[in-house]
Order: sequence, then structure tokens, then C-alpha cells
Amino acid sequence: MAREFDHLFKLLIIGDSGVGKSCLLLRFADNTFSGSYITTIGVDFKIRTLEINGERVKLQIWDTAGQERFRTITSTYYRGTHGVIVVYDVTNGESFANVKRWLHEIEQNCDVVNKVLVGNKNDCPSRKVVVTEDAQRFASQMNIPLFETSAKENINVEEMFLTITKMVLRSKLEMKERQNVTSNDTVNLKKNHKTKKKCC
Amino acid sequence: MNYEETKSVVQEKFLSSERVTAFLCDAKVLHPEWVKKDRLLCIVEYGDEKAVFCLFTSSYPPKSFTDLSIEIVLPIDNTFKCEIDNKPSDPEAVLYLNLQSRNNKFKFEIQMTPRVDNFVDDLFRGIEAVSKVPTQPEFVWLKKYHGKDEDDIITQFSVIPRSGVAHAQNSAPVAIRESLIKRKMYDKELEYTFTKKFTVFCGTWNVNDKSPVIPLEGWLSVDREPPDIYAVGFQELDLSKETFLFDQTFREDEWYNAVINYVDRRAKYVKLEKVRLVGMLLIVLIKQKYISHVRNVVCDTVGTGIMGKMGNKGGVSIRFDLHNTSMCFVNSHLAAHVEEYERRNQDFRDICNRTRFLQPNQQAKAIKDHDQIYWIGDLNYRITDLDPNTVKQLIKDNNFEKILEWDQLKQQHKNNNVFAGYTEGPITFKPTYKYDPGTDNWDSSEKNRAPAWCDRIFWKGEAISQLAYRSHPALNISDHKPVSATFSSSIKVIDEEKYRKVYEDVIKQLDKLENELIPQVKVDLTEIDFGTVKYLELQVRTITIKNIGKLPVEFEFIKKLDETSFCKEWLIVEPYKKCICADESCEIQLKVLINKTSACKINAGTDKLYDILVLHLYGGKDIFITVTGTYQRSCFGCSIEVLVNLNKPIKDVPVGKLIELENKRDQCVSNQSTYSIPKEIWFLVDHIYLHGLKEPNLFEQPGLHSEVLQIRDWLDSGSVDPIPGSIHSVAEALLLLLESTADPIIPYNLQSICLKASANYLQCKQIVMELPEFRKNVFLYLCEFLQEALQHSAENGLDAKTLSTLFGEIFLRDNPNQIQEPQSRINKQVIDKKKAQFVHHFLVNDHSDLIFTR
Repeated sequence: MAREFDHLFKLLIIGDSGVGKSCLLLRFADNTFSGSYITTIGVDFKIRTLEINGERVKLQIWDTAGQERFRTITSTYYRGTHGVIVVYDVTNGESFANVKRWLHEIEQNCDVVNKVLVGNKNDCPSRKVVVTEDAQRFASQMNIPLFETSAKENINVEEMFLTITKMVLRSKLEMKERQNVTSNDTVNLKKNHKTKKKCC
Repeated sequence: MNYEETKSVVQEKFLSSERVTAFLCDAKVLHPEWVKKDRLLCIVEYGDEKAVFCLFTSSYPPKSFTDLSIEIVLPIDNTFKCEIDNKPSDPEAVLYLNLQSRNNKFKFEIQMTPRVDNFVDDLFRGIEAVSKVPTQPEFVWLKKYHGKDEDDIITQFSVIPRSGVAHAQNSAPVAIRESLIKRKMYDKELEYTFTKKFTVFCGTWNVNDKSPVIPLEGWLSVDREPPDIYAVGFQELDLSKETFLFDQTFREDEWYNAVINYVDRRAKYVKLEKVRLVGMLLIVLIKQKYISHVRNVVCDTVGTGIMGKMGNKGGVSIRFDLHNTSMCFVNSHLAAHVEEYERRNQDFRDICNRTRFLQPNQQAKAIKDHDQIYWIGDLNYRITDLDPNTVKQLIKDNNFEKILEWDQLKQQHKNNNVFAGYTEGPITFKPTYKYDPGTDNWDSSEKNRAPAWCDRIFWKGEAISQLAYRSHPALNISDHKPVSATFSSSIKVIDEEKYRKVYEDVIKQLDKLENELIPQVKVDLTEIDFGTVKYLELQVRTITIKNIGKLPVEFEFIKKLDETSFCKEWLIVEPYKKCICADESCEIQLKVLINKTSACKINAGTDKLYDILVLHLYGGKDIFITVTGTYQRSCFGCSIEVLVNLNKPIKDVPVGKLIELENKRDQCVSNQSTYSIPKEIWFLVDHIYLHGLKEPNLFEQPGLHSEVLQIRDWLDSGSVDPIPGSIHSVAEALLLLLESTADPIIPYNLQSICLKASANYLQCKQIVMELPEFRKNVFLYLCEFLQEALQHSAENGLDAKTLSTLFGEIFLRDNPNQIQEPQSRINKQVIDKKKAQFVHHFLVNDHSDLIFTR
């Protein structure tokens, strides 16, 4: 069958400056890592195609500038997003504290959207300050899956992207299902109406 | 005629220095007047220059270059564009190629073949090459091909309707990507497959219109191990007229059931497919345990009998995929009669050419498109040039080799006239034709035919080895003996685990390719600090955008959400939109100029020298460019009400204080203010009054910009030095200052009243009486000064009319925030006249009464 993809999803990576958003994307899309830090000035994207349960899913993953001064501009890129990856740095407590703000940002700019919380740079236990239990407690409260990843060591990156993609896919299929059910209901109602008439 | 031969014919159409690099045979040009006619498309290279040619051919395929005529020439230059559309209903089979060059557009329909990829690749290589060349190619070599036709053909079809293929851009890469995946997976087949031996039994029997009245196990079940696949073919199943005409026979079921009954009983078989044409029947069975690995079972029949079409002769075929190997079985009955071997060769070719296996969503497959082909049947080739009795004697002596030298099929095969590329095993059995039915005796009829090996089995494909090739003389009901062969064939089996990995790798590779093709640029500066920016002083910074991607990139500075322009009004970006070729750079100038409008906003704190520009790459990312600067506050652009309250130079006033004053300017009260008119206006007027009243061309000769800027600094810094610059520069500074005040001297809301009253001095006076206090002061002060200046008209050449026109424009400024109706020039002249008239009253009348009312 000639098809490039069955689904096209837009994912967005947000979080404080320097938490490793671009590195996560680079690891996932190109399977590379660069230690030198180049701050993202703008909004960039890469694509990757996955096959999930035999369905071809094309992901367009947008990486945003985390700097405070760009926040109003970057918020305009939230539109049409299917899934958001909120990233903090496990070695930087402030970036974790700011997660709330980012979640708020999502609420302000997106309708219904799937989210995952990602604690990146989880490759050096001595420098870790955001303990897993705290992050997990917060994530559970917010009802968001938590992943602790390392783009550098390629830990959990693939799993994280796979999870958010599956979540988005499931949401889409459920939505479709609901629509089908609703349309069936309409038909049933009409039928009932008819039989009633006959009875009378 | 194969691809290379056709290509060489096309090449002959061109000079040897003009090389045909790619071509397509089956293109159709789509045009209302050239409806879907067959054309050849080719790309011709001459030096660094390439062009696409569309050729008409009078015979298909072209046999000589004289068959070809050039219809369309599209040079691949900077104007050349190529778009690929899929036909939505049938995305695999057909592609639409939209080509455009120098405003000539053509649409071609192209059969999706592997050649298309080469062609499109070559096309895009050409386009890319052109984009890298700095100078536009000249295409001198094409002139001879245009000739006089250029005007006739090319330009007249300038626009071709796009026949409703709407989502062209999205769907364009699909077919390419898809065929790339297929090709890459095919290339890597060895990485994810292993081979497994299958035994294949092939049997053929011309049953000469007989029913299966004898058991068949002596033919079908003679091997040590039960074969994995059975392919059993019959000819002359039923010679009745009804069968020939209506293609119906009960014998099909009879023989099918007989085969089912007599195949090896040690294994369980299921039917894959059976296919019959008149008397030719082909049955393919497979061991039940393998059926789940069989896909795409398709059959076809080709008649080559009477009139070359009827089914008394011809071939029936079944194809399928077993694991990852495609297999094809052909059962044929070729033309009869000893001397007709050429006819038999032709029948073979016809079967090859006309057999088409149609599959949904796939290109039709021919017999040759299979990994393994097994061809069985009554091929009807005979022994020539040997006397029948000699033949029979040689057979008796078991000297088959001698006879086989005279076998037509061996001879024709050797000369590649038939079964080219196929193999036949050594024949070690007696000829299978012609016997008296029911016996092993040679045909005893009057014809006394020479015996022949009519019934044969050929194969083609790698990793097939024949285990047996034999006849079964005991089955004697027909005038032919059945023949069979068994093969050990290597079937490619997919290792699902490895396949998935290879597939993922291929997808990743393509994703990588796609990511590399996303436009990429490098911007040398993303934060531009203009430093100190002064009023009316233009500053320029340059940034360089370098295209580091592989394709040309188009950039544009785009508007942020809810904004009307992509940058603030004090910023100019040139160019704001452009295309950059790969590896090339573009310089962009950013210019900051604070004029009165932006100065007012900055003074009032509603704007600041800070902006973020969004540099958008089409099909790619956005880059944010931050522009900052520090505005050095100036008296230009301040309100009169603020200036009268500043008892020190503006340079010494804190920014916050200034903003506060600007925002409270409406509450400015006279008795608390420092001055009755702004000291800056007084300085300038006083200077002209003292030193310039007699200056010729006062207010008419422009000052020097640099001097005006010096005067600006002098005013803003409260310098104790004398005012710099000439009288004309001071006069110009005065005009600029009056023009730049946040509010005009006569408020916007009074303007229309003033214009209405302009003919009446008393009414005009009344209006001036009601002006806000400080503006009234400035107005009267200036009028007094101008009256003074007019006293010296003999020297300075001024007259009241000129001055009233000049100052009318300044006192009665048009509101820039009000949406002006498009003024006609006459209307504008009338308004300007009224403005001048209004001011004129105060230049020629004594209005000292107004001053003394204060």
C-alpha cells in the first residue's frame, strides 16, 4: 500500500532553558548527542516515523526556546499540538519548580492534550537534586506519566517518546470511537421513535 | 526492444555531445488538445546544462531516430519547477509530473516504474545543480531545437489546468518515499531472510481427450519424500467442440479429483489455485502446513491458438509468493505440426508478453517478474531431419543423445530463440509421443510419425536444482506419456525479528534524509544591540543568513500573533523576504530610526527599543532575533505641557520622571509650571530673532542635517556654549521641534472647526482664545515672532502667504491615528489653503489684545 503514514502527530517539547530539550530531540530523531551547549533561539522541528501496532505514525516534533523572554512568542506554537513533553533537569531544582508554570502555559494555550513529564540528565546520581519520589508524587498528583531520561547516555528516551505517541494515538482512536458511538445513538433514537409510533 | 536499445535510439536524435541521461517511455502529455498521447520524456545534458525534452514517436517503441520528433523543450534553469502529484484513486500506478520552465507549463502522466525514480532523481539533480550556479545558463545549444516551433507550440500552451489535484505538495514525496522503502528493503533482503529448501513436483501430461480411468500414483507419488508443492498440468483435456467454443468441461473436475486422490498420501495438501483454458489445466497444491505463508495467489490465461487468440493453444499460469520468494508456474500447449517450430517460438513469446497478473494496488506482474519460474507443457517441438525408423532404432539402442541433436527445442533453445535464460535438465527418458493409446508401441497409423519429446519441463531462477526428470510410460491411456520433474528450491524466508530491525533502519535512514532536507540556516547574530539611539539619527546593523542546508531556502520575517507588522515601526528590515541558494549567504540590514511618532511613544513609556523578530524558513524552523537599544531622550517628541515643566535639560531628567510627566500632561496647571512656553522653543526663536531676521530665504532654505543633530544635542544637554550651526539649521530645528510635539499646537479635535472658521478672523480669534493655555502661548508667541520677521521681508524675502502655508501645516497637523479618507489632490489643496488662511489672519492682524487678556 502506498501510504507515507496513517497518522501525523505534532509533539512539542517545553521546559526551562538548558534542561536538554534539543538534546532529547536530537537523540530521538538522529540518535546523536553533542556535549556542547547551543541554546535554541527560536523553534525547530524534526520528524521521525514510528510503527505502532502496524500503524505508521509520523511525528513532527517541535523544540522550543526555553528562555523566559521568548515565552510569549513560543506559546503561539502550542496550537494544533497533540502531545506535550515537559522537561526539567534532575540536577536543577528550579527547573523542576518551574514545571508548574509550564503546565499552566499548556492549559492556557492548548485544548485537550496528552502530556508527559521528563526529568532529563538522569545520568549522574551525585549531581541529582530532584529525587525520583518527589517527582513521582507530583506527576501522580497531576496524573502525568513521569520519565527520568538521559539524552547523553540514551536512557529512556525512546521509551518516553513511544509512550507519548501511544497516548496520542489512543486518544485519537478513542475520539473516533466516541464519534461512532454518538452517531449510532442517533440512529437508535430514530428507530425507537418509529416503533413507538407504530405501537400507538 | 529493451530499455538500453530504446535509449540508444533516443540518443541518436541528439548530438553526441548532448548526452541523454535519463528517459521514460510511457509518458503521456495532458493537454486539452493533445489528449493523453504517448510521449517519450528524456533529460539531455550538455556540459553543465540540462533540459527536459518531450518527444513524439511515430512507432512505439521507436525503431530509429527518424521516428522521433521533438515537441517540447524545457531548459532546466532558475525558472524551472517540478511538482509531482499522485492520482489519489490509484497512487501506485500513475504519477503526474508538472514541469514548468520560463512560463511554459506542462503536465505529464507517467506510469510508475522503477525507471521513474531514476528519471526524477536526475531531474532534481539538474534543478539542484542550477541553483548552485551563480550565473544563469545560456542554453545556446537548445536554440536549434526550438526553431520556428517555439512560438507555435511552446508559448501557446502556457497554462495547463491542474485537473483538481489539490494537495499536491503534501502528497508529492509519498510515492518517491514509498518506492525508496521498497527498493531499500529489496537491496537488504539478505539481511533479514534465510533460505529453506522446498521440494517442488512438476508434472505434465497431454491426456488426449481421455478421462482418468487409471490410477495416477505411478506419476504423482513416486518420490522418496512427499514434495512440498505440486504443479500438475494437463493438455487436451477435452477436444469436444463445446469445450472449445464455450470453455466448459466436466473433465476439469474429473482430473482435478484424480490428482487430489493420487498425490502422495503421506502428506496433507491443499489447493492453492487451479486454472483452465479450454483443454489446458494447471493445478497447484501445497502442503497444508505452508499455506499460511502463501500470499498474492493470482492466475492468468493466454490463448495463442486460432487467429492467435483462441484457447486451443496457449498457456495458463499461476503465481504466488511463498514466504519472500515469488513463484510462477506456467502450463502451455504450443502450436502443433513438425515444421511449425517458429510458430511455437512465437507462442512462447506471446505467452510471456501477454500474461499479466493483476493485483489490487500493485503494478501488474509479468511472468519474468518472478524469482522462480517453472514452465511445463506439451511444447510440441519435434525431431527433424531424421528418418522415423532411424529414430526408433536409436531409441532402441538407448542412444538418446544422437536424437536430441535433432530436437527442435534443443536447437531453438541453444540459439536463444525460445526459453532464453531458462534451463532444462538432461533427458534420459524415451520420447513421450506418439504411442498407440493403451500400449507402449509407437504410433502405428499411416502417418508413421517420428517419436518426439513433446512434453517438457523448464525452469528459471536461482537456487533451484533438479532432482529428477522422467517420464512415466506405464500410464498409457493417451498417445502421450506423462512427464515429471522434482526440484529442490531455495525459498527465502523472512526472519520477522531481523525484518523489523532492517525495516526500522530503513525508515530511520529515510527520516534522517528528510530531516537533512529541512531548510537550515546559520544566522551570525541573533541579538542585536544598537547601543545609544538618538532622535532622527539612522543606525544600521547587518546580520548574515547563511544557507547551510542542501536545498534553496526561502525566508521571511513573519508577524507574531496579534501583531499587524513583523517589526516595530522604528525598525526597517531589508530584505525581509528572500530565497537563498544552498551554501550561499544573504545580508540583511536592520535600520533603526526614531522619528516623532516613535519618540512620542517611547517618551510616554508605551513603547521601548526592544523587539523580537521571527525569521521563518519555509518548511523549516523559526529563529528569534532580538533587537535592543537605549533611546537617548530628547525634547523632540515631548509634549509642550511636559517641556514647560522641565527646569533642567532633558538629559538630566530621569526616564521615569519623564514618563510620569507625559502621562499626566492633561493635568498640567499653569501656575505650577516653570515656564509659559517651552524653553527649547524660546532658545531657537530667540536665536533667530537676534541673529537671523535679516537672513535671506529664512525658513525656506533647508539646514544641514548634521547641524540639526548638533542643535538637538545642544538643546537636550542644556549647553552653555552658543547654539551651533547656521541660521537655516536653527530654523529647521525649530520647525522639526514644533512638528514633533506629542500633541499639535491646535488640538486635533479643534481642527475641523478651525478650517470652517478660516475665512472669519473673529471666529478664528475666538478659537485661539479657547486653546489649552500653553499651546495658546506657543501659538501667539510664534505669530508675534513671525510678524516681526515679516517686518524684514525686504532682506529675508519672506511674505505672509508663504509663512502662513508653512506654519498652517505645523499648527494644524493632521491626526495620524485617524483613518483618513483617501483625499483627492484637490480636496487636500482646499484644506491646505484653509489652514494657511487660518494662520494668515494672525500674521497680518494685530492680535495684541489676545496677549493682554492673559
